[in-house]
Amino acid sequence: MAASITAHGGVHDDGHDHGHDEIIYQETRDMRLMGFVLFLGTDVVLFSSYIFAYIYLRNSIPMWPPGPPVVPAQLPRLDTAFAAFNSVVLFGSGVTMHYALEHWKHANRGRFNLFMALTIILGLGFLGGQAYEYAHAQIGGWNGNTFGASFFTLTGMHGIHVFIGVCFLIALWIQTRAGVYTQQRFFGLTAGTLYWHFVDVIWVVLFFLFYLW
Amino acid sequence: MELANIEKIVAFVGALVVFFFACVGLRGEWHKTGLDDNVTKLLLGLMAFGCVLVVLACFGVLPHGGAA
Repeated sequence: MAASITAHGGVHDDGHDHGHDEIIYQETRDMRLMGFVLFLGTDVVLFSSYIFAYIYLRNSIPMWPPGPPVVPAQLPRLDTAFAAFNSVVLFGSGVTMHYALEHWKHANRGRFNLFMALTIILGLGFLGGQAYEYAHAQIGGWNGNTFGASFFTLTGMHGIHVFIGVCFLIALWIQTRAGVYTQQRFFGLTAGTLYWHFVDVIWVVLFFLFYLW
Repeated sequence: MELANIEKIVAFVGALVVFFFACVGLRGEWHKTGLDDNVTKLLLGLMAFGCVLVVLACFGVLPHGGAA
């Protein structure tokens, strides 16, 4: 065999057998893609467990957010207006990531860099917004009551995913600048985009559960 | 103008813009059939739905969407 697969999924090419290299790459790409989609599936199960626990807790108390006698004083609802604003920031980053990948496929490096930068900035903006919300939420902290515990656990877990996603995107961006990916072989960017979309979609559910329901 | 109203206006306009570009992206993906393309279609569609939720929240249409 005239080719070997690198750690990041590229193929060292000795220039003798491009067709065989392509078959090897496509087969390994398909397997890695299936593995990555299954990984996202396990994350869906993780979030679903917490979400159904939240729904159970919510329905086990007559008033939500909890009031007396469950807690000493009636807890306020969360700030929907700010959450709507912060949600758009995150959804916007999902769209910019999608277009970053599209520009990569079409060999438009300048716009790829622009959209990657926008995605990372918006992701960091969302995390900043979440930190602001944590600092100003008057719901009794993460260990004060079931509402606070549910809110900080679920949104905190999501925030960790966003943080990991931002680190992932920065690593991918560095890799693109180092020449790891080509216009034909860019599985890492595909995985990063799918992960980022997944994080956005989880927030759709959390936004509805905590702010609109 | 109250800060909450400014946030809602920005969120509303942003949601419309993001929804539009999500739909354009979804349209571009529509004819593709790979596993990653299909997952992207699903996730982009759900993200566009999230924008609809934000718009509804801005107008207070959902039960607690207008609560600050």
